[in-house]
Amino acid sequence: MPRIIVRPALATLLIHGLLLLSLTLNWGVQDREVVKAKPAPTVINARLVDASEFKPKPKPKPVTKKPQPKPTPKPVVKKPVETTKPKPKPAVVKKPKVAAKPKPVPMAVPKPQPAPRITREELARIAREELAATAAAEQASATGEMSATFVALIQQTVINYWSRPPSARNGMEAELAIQLIPTGEVVSVTIVRSSGNSAFDRSAVNAVEKAGAFPELQTLPSAEFERTFRRFRLLFKPEDLRY
Amino acid sequence: MEEQLSLLDLVWNASFTVQMVMAILLLASIISWYMIVNRFLYFRDAHDEMYRFEERFWSGIDLSQLYREGNERASDGQAILGMESIFRAGFKEFSRLAQQPEMDSEAVIEGSRRAMRVAVMREEERLERHLAFMASVGSTSPYIGLFGTVWGIMHSFRGLANSTQATLATVAPGISEALIATAMGLFAAIPAVLAYNRFAARVEVFSNRYDTFTDEFSGILSRQAYALRNRERQES
Repeated sequence: MPRIIVRPALATLLIHGLLLLSLTLNWGVQDREVVKAKPAPTVINARLVDASEFKPKPKPKPVTKKPQPKPTPKPVVKKPVETTKPKPKPAVVKKPKVAAKPKPVPMAVPKPQPAPRITREELARIAREELAATAAAEQASATGEMSATFVALIQQTVINYWSRPPSARNGMEAELAIQLIPTGEVVSVTIVRSSGNSAFDRSAVNAVEKAGAFPELQTLPSAEFERTFRRFRLLFKPEDLRY
Repeated sequence: MEEQLSLLDLVWNASFTVQMVMAILLLASIISWYMIVNRFLYFRDAHDEMYRFEERFWSGIDLSQLYREGNERASDGQAILGMESIFRAGFKEFSRLAQQPEMDSEAVIEGSRRAMRVAVMREEERLERHLAFMASVGSTSPYIGLFGTVWGIMHSFRGLANSTQATLATVAPGISEALIATAMGLFAAIPAVLAYNRFAARVEVFSNRYDTFTDEFSGILSRQAYALRNRERQES
């Protein structure tokens, strides 16, 4: 007789336990994509864009300032040439590339920098618009390639919004799980794998939150969106820091 | 940014009424599952027992021998259930009445028949135990779950009235948590209904078998009773 009491009790516990387990474990679906964000090159990138934006501005400035220091027309002419010459090339061509070349550029760039008052956010916006334009241009191509460009877009955007905490070091890696909705808005950001440095983790999360939304993703077909961007993982990994 | 909504958090943060509803449903589900498995085992045992006994009964064994075997097992502390208990009830009554010479054969058979009918009733009662609970879980728990859901949705809409910005995000968690109550109600109800229907059908089968056995056995007993009374009359 005890058999007929113990066995049902065990079976009941088993059934409810399994149900609970399946509900709690499968609630979050596995994330597909790991987008790798390597923030290091971006710092330099941002300056390059900034300089190119700066380029049109100096033109009016010299014009107004020229009258005052009249005796020197030569430097005025020379200066824009100097600044314009190296800039257009890195600004357009170099941006997607790795930061191998930029090394000399930072030395040249910081000089004109004080003049334009372009904030980081504006910079980020500009960079993003450019990327969106390229993404839109490639829309006709296969969706696989499309999502690749959107991956690049997300990388770029997030990196542009990233403000490096002083404690960031080479080789730190933080993995974030990001959830988007079809409008491109970020619904949730969570740290999946911490870098061990809470300031770094927080800066990474902040970068995504500041980016807030990737409205360009609206152009992606919804099936493709569901497959790759509904949930994905972002690997945050600065590489080219000097220390 | 808000955390990923987890199921347990939803249950944990639900309002008191909804939590109560969920607790009731969980309890109902646990008890009904316990009863389902319990009944399943009991019916299987009863089925095996019935076949075993029928085989033995029709094997041509002496009935008093069969009765004695049953006695031995009963004195060992084993419970005697199902068809065998019907047989024992009938046979005991028959032997007791047959020893009284003033009873005629009709009365002996009538008496043993009555004893068997009582035993059949008792067996059916045993088989049907817990079935009523399953039936009521099956029919009421969807309504209980629905009550929890309606209550939860009512609450979340009232919260919506208070907030200035009405977004989906303000009501969605409330509705989601409320719907869990319905899900739980269905989870409790579906197995209970299925099990109830199955077990009710099996009870029907069992009671038919028991009735048939009662008739057959009383046929045998009446033959014996007449034979006994004839012998007594010839002897006297």
